[in-house]
Amino acid sequence: MTTSVDAAAESSTPHERSETPLPPPALPPKTGWRAVTSSRVFQGLISPVAFLITFAAFGLWQGSNFLNVASRVLDLHSNSPVLILGLSVMVTLLAGQFDLSVASMTTLTAYLTVGLVVNYSWPFWLVLVFALLIGSLGGLLNGLLVTKFGINTFIATLGTGGVFLGASSILSTGSSIVPTADAPLPTWFTGLGSFGTFTTKVPLVFTLITVLVLLVTAHVSAQRLRPHGPASRRWLIAEAVVGVVVILVAVIGHSWLQQITWPVLLLLAIATGLWIMFRLTVTGRNITAVGSNPLAARLAGVRTEREIVKAFIIGGLLASVAGIVLAAQQGSASPDVATGFLLPAFAAAFLSTVVFSAGRFSVWGTVIGGSFLLWVGQGLIVGGLPFTWLSLVNGAVLIVAVAASTLLRRERR
Amino acid sequence: MKPSSSLRLQGLRKSYGSNEVLRGLDLEIAPGSFVGLIGANGAGKSTLIKILDGVTPKSTGKIFLDDKVVDSLRDRTEVAFVHQDLGLVDGISIADNFRLGQAPLRKFGVLVDLQRERAEAADALERVGVERSPDTLVEALSPAEKTLVAIARAFARGATFLVMDEATSNLTPRGAKRVIDVLSSVVADGGTVIMVTHRLSEIIEATSRVVALIDGRIAHDAETRHLDREGLARMLVNQDSVLSEEDITEPGDVVFRMTGARAWPNVGPIDLEIRSGEVVGITGNQGSGLHAIGLLANGAVAPSHGTVWFADGVESALVPPHRETEGGFSDQTILENMTLSSLRLFRGRSRSLDLNAESDAGHTMVKRLKVKPAAADAMFGSLSGGNKQKVIFARAILSGAKFLVLCEPTRGVDPATRTEIYQLIRDLRASGAAILVVSSDSEDLLAVSDRVGVAIGGKLEHMTPLSHLEDEGLEAFV
Repeated sequence: MTTSVDAAAESSTPHERSETPLPPPALPPKTGWRAVTSSRVFQGLISPVAFLITFAAFGLWQGSNFLNVASRVLDLHSNSPVLILGLSVMVTLLAGQFDLSVASMTTLTAYLTVGLVVNYSWPFWLVLVFALLIGSLGGLLNGLLVTKFGINTFIATLGTGGVFLGASSILSTGSSIVPTADAPLPTWFTGLGSFGTFTTKVPLVFTLITVLVLLVTAHVSAQRLRPHGPASRRWLIAEAVVGVVVILVAVIGHSWLQQITWPVLLLLAIATGLWIMFRLTVTGRNITAVGSNPLAARLAGVRTEREIVKAFIIGGLLASVAGIVLAAQQGSASPDVATGFLLPAFAAAFLSTVVFSAGRFSVWGTVIGGSFLLWVGQGLIVGGLPFTWLSLVNGAVLIVAVAASTLLRRERR
Repeated sequence: MKPSSSLRLQGLRKSYGSNEVLRGLDLEIAPGSFVGLIGANGAGKSTLIKILDGVTPKSTGKIFLDDKVVDSLRDRTEVAFVHQDLGLVDGISIADNFRLGQAPLRKFGVLVDLQRERAEAADALERVGVERSPDTLVEALSPAEKTLVAIARAFARGATFLVMDEATSNLTPRGAKRVIDVLSSVVADGGTVIMVTHRLSEIIEATSRVVALIDGRIAHDAETRHLDREGLARMLVNQDSVLSEEDITEPGDVVFRMTGARAWPNVGPIDLEIRSGEVVGITGNQGSGLHAIGLLANGAVAPSHGTVWFADGVESALVPPHRETEGGFSDQTILENMTLSSLRLFRGRSRSLDLNAESDAGHTMVKRLKVKPAAADAMFGSLSGGNKQKVIFARAILSGAKFLVLCEPTRGVDPATRTEIYQLIRDLRASGAAILVVSSDSEDLLAVSDRVGVAIGGKLEHMTPLSHLEDEGLEAFV
């Protein structure tokens, strides 16, 4: 029995210098399976490999029904609003906040895009500008509620989500809006042969430009990983090899690239833009720092409230882009068109913490994780699962993937 | 009270890696003595207490309790430790606190014998002079009463040998006196007390013997009645660390000024001027508003009254006091942690970041501050305390700020790194930075400051050039 009056005997005065020079505890050397599972390479590869295995399993099961470029790009095409919404959610998550109002914002802007033309005959360019403006203002409102008024981000965005959804419901008086012959949507925007349809493909040159921008950004961004000293040269060679391989794949796979539609290209362009922002701009780095440790960021001179507001504005803006793309694909708008997008969007963003096993939200992780999510769902549906199961599959994949990565990371400690 | 125990240490040593914290202590404490243990922070007091309490194992040497060899004093009913954190639970009654971690007293085998528990608690409370019902919630007690309750609990569990580990440092002088009077009466009844404290007056008034630790050795061991305050203060100062003559340079222009600055209800008004090439050090106890003054000076907290002024073009950078919670970003790399405050300096013409320049700056800093591991892409969270501190210093330095507020620069840092950090501060000073060192460890101030002051009740007092600090003045700093 201890007579120590202090139950928590470890506690002591925090001023003593003798407190932390503890040497790292001598762990028993890891052997066999444990050595493999705790290595950093394994940790980094496990999710991509799991994704590939799942993909291959579907391929074996369903053959060319699943391993079909056109069908898989169609999945991306028809779900591009969800994936863009996933990126919107990711931006606020990276800032340490979350935005539950984005799906409602997508509904509202999809409604505005159609409704302002059909019911109010606004010129279409003005409609687009207005929709993007509403998205940004919605984000600004969320940001101010959270920072200036100190309202819990959960409550604030749940509330504004209700307001956005309510606004579209009131304006539409609860019914769908369909363009008429008197007030049509522009033919380049929606309908046969337009921006919004799957049959319209992007000219290859635009896709290649996007790939090129990606490569250049990847090169610039990889500089921070470049080792200093003699290893630097080997690093350059390795980088060049990777670049050549990517270009070769692009050339050989150009028939794939020619399947790409405008919404998919828009998704890739947005992802590239966000990636550049988070890697190469002060704002992006500041937002990441705020999300990582708000107090430390503030004391390091980051204006945390402003960065949080910026993240919400970017999130709102992207939600409105998703709404516009949705309007283009559907050609009409109903009052709850995007309500079901919230779960898959959050799932895509959270899957990004698993994709590269870094535990951090990432742009490409969101795109890849989101694509994986919808391919799994689609593969099951093609395999005979009723589509009513889709939400259940989305929820289950999210929980399993994140739980597995959390367990693995705990194991590593 | 039954007779107390005797304690003897023989050649007690403790090293963390290559760093020797205790370098062979030989000490004998007879039953019925009241020993004050003093020493600047980092001298090894805390390590000694932790070894005695069984929190940390000793490296070599022996501990004898009543002439029997023991590993530590933990699990000895006759010995009790009272730490600064008293280990009391606020939301429950005194009597319930007495039974924490003990098997409940039973009646008929199943029921808890509340009456007996309460009666035992009441007896113990009476012995320490706390006139409260055992049903009183602990949160209703004053800080001094809480300390006394912790002592009473130790007695109720059969202790006769008390180790007080800075348990009085959060109390008001009156509260501390009340606690010390009880301790004196314990000793008069034949008990034994070892008291670790920073307050020299408490040592002089109560103890019969003073043991001073410096750099892990017993530097002085004397009967208290032969000592006065000056003698005690002189015992504690490690003369090696004071600025040497050649470091003294003429400071430049005033770059920072606080005039009647206040923040929160209890901090300020503060007037302070710092020149370029000058280091001002302030210290203070917990609750003195020490860190608040640092944040106010840095500009992280806006003053509610008065002004905080920086000369044109002077920016301010901060090393925050609590490294783990407000210092860094554990899921980001060393590089990202270092450059966060200076990103705008790496912005090219296109306003996008020049990652090459950023990476070069980071690698240079890693080398200059000898950060381990010397890899700028290692995660901050995986670093040791001292290396984390270096990364946070690097962030402040890279920002190019000409005014630096360094809070607790050496907290939780090993002695070798501590020396490096002192040298770094002197280098920054030589390069013309104005520096405010805010540290509860007075050794920091004595090592690097031109002028020193003490935070008391949210105000700055005793502002004195270090070279004019006489023995009487010194006492405020140890």
